[in-house]
Amino acid sequence: MPDLAVDLAPRNPRELVLKNPVIAASGCFGYGLEYAGVMDVARLGAFVSKGITPKPRSGNPMPRITETPAGMLNAIGLQNPGIRGFVKKYPRVWETWSVPAIVNISAEAVEDYALMARILDELPGIAGIEVNISCPNIAAGGYCFGWDAGMSADVTRAVRAATTLPLIVKLSPGAMDIVGVALAVEEAGADAISLINTLVGMSIDVKRRRPVLANATGGLSGPAIKPVAVRMVYQVAGAVRIPIVGMGGIMGLDDALEFFLAGASAVQIGTAIFAQPGMLVRVIDELGAWMDKEGIASLAEIVGAAHPRRPAIVEAGQVGMVDVAEVAAG
Amino acid sequence: MAREFDGEILACEPVMGDSTLMTVTLPRGMAGGMVAGQFVQILTRMDGSHDPLLRRPYSVYGVDPDTDTMRLLVRPYGRGSAWLAERQVGQTLDILGPLGNAFQISPRARNLLMVAGGVGAAPLVMLSEQALARGLSVTYLMGGMRAEALLAPALVPAAVEYVVATDDGSRGHRGFVTDLVPDYLSWADQIFACGPEAMFLSLRGVVMRHRVGGKPTVQVSVERGMACGLGACLGCVVETKRGMRTSCVDGPIYDMDEVVW
Repeated sequence: MPDLAVDLAPRNPRELVLKNPVIAASGCFGYGLEYAGVMDVARLGAFVSKGITPKPRSGNPMPRITETPAGMLNAIGLQNPGIRGFVKKYPRVWETWSVPAIVNISAEAVEDYALMARILDELPGIAGIEVNISCPNIAAGGYCFGWDAGMSADVTRAVRAATTLPLIVKLSPGAMDIVGVALAVEEAGADAISLINTLVGMSIDVKRRRPVLANATGGLSGPAIKPVAVRMVYQVAGAVRIPIVGMGGIMGLDDALEFFLAGASAVQIGTAIFAQPGMLVRVIDELGAWMDKEGIASLAEIVGAAHPRRPAIVEAGQVGMVDVAEVAAG
Repeated sequence: MAREFDGEILACEPVMGDSTLMTVTLPRGMAGGMVAGQFVQILTRMDGSHDPLLRRPYSVYGVDPDTDTMRLLVRPYGRGSAWLAERQVGQTLDILGPLGNAFQISPRARNLLMVAGGVGAAPLVMLSEQALARGLSVTYLMGGMRAEALLAPALVPAAVEYVVATDDGSRGHRGFVTDLVPDYLSWADQIFACGPEAMFLSLRGVVMRHRVGGKPTVQVSVERGMACGLGACLGCVVETKRGMRTSCVDGPIYDMDEVVW
């Protein structure tokens, strides 16, 4: 059997070792319990909870979701019981599970991120924190934290100071300079980076002449955004040294492989779960079978392999060091 | 308990003008546990495509535990349902279910009134069968655009009083199905409704105007655009007097008085 294990926090003594690199993405897997009846949650590398906020939120008015070509828009509005309601309910359940549970946190002020991280730090049943920085910064007039390297670093530094838990910072594709943000959060103490969050989009109901979503705009996810996500993972992988968790429109093994080759050490699957919960385990099984067939002993062999200075597969079964320029020159 | 399974299409019967009553196989033993009001989510992807991306919810029209089958009422009005309506006998469907809660017949109820609009007829047929099996009296009101859009009387259990309304007056009462409701308000112990949102609003108006002491109670099947069907995405919420609830897990059946309309 090939080695599918990965540590997403190699610089952290508390480490975040996953038995395989397939993670259920935040917002698409509830708190894990919702899917426990329809699939074997224990097979996952990890799962990320729905986004938790300092106070309970009832979310946006309906409609909250709409289907788009090869994708969907959502504006759920972070409906959740708040950090205190969350703490009472879920960690005690997860403590009895073997699969690592990662908590996604969102806030509109730096100190609120830190407050939540402090609460989570000592709780049982929690393997790590994923910080959603695609939120409006109220102190900055609603400008999204994740669009700016300095504000992204501020959040990361505050959370890092509040907890020793493995820390994944989830980047926003709306960033002016995605590599700049990645480098800033790495410097500020992130153990890993996940990307991409949804792209802001809109659909308009032509008959009603109004946006379909009550919130007008929503986050675009699904296969439609995959090329954007692969590009951003590729760019960030060329700059940072910490592990990258790639996501955006993965619908099967081939999509996941693109992210590994672009430089992701693990992947998250989100929107695909809504239609096919069985896809998560299928990708894990197919990845192992594919590595066996390709004679790949460890996932590390293919992580980032699409980058120019890595060996490219020139012909079936033949591996050689080539520069992209050479390949392009034919 | 819900699961993902392949169901084979055993029969496709044209009904209600443009719709299809589809008989689909279930995993052994599942039919006996399914109750009226529940639904399944069907993957309606075109071959080799990511579209339509999300599953489509279908209320269960009926189940047969002896043959391990269920029946679904499919009306082609969107991409997903059009794809499904074109499926042929022998093809298989990727199904997630059974999902959702159920209509609740009160232990003290004797007389039940069904109010159906269009494909909303589906779960109320199954509920009528359950009620008849318990010896209760059922009146089934159905509304449609015209005579062909109605459920054929042969598809409604024989012991049910079946009364219809059409927009164009081509059969039964000319007007809305909810126009018929006042005549039954003093008779009915419970009302069960499934149909478009506009029908619920009209029904609510009629009931609120005429009922006495909160009786009869009304249960409605509230359909919202949904993604996961399992209560995870929170895309299909219904605003209730106790806060936001999902249409897929906490619903789709709600007491009309619980919903903030």
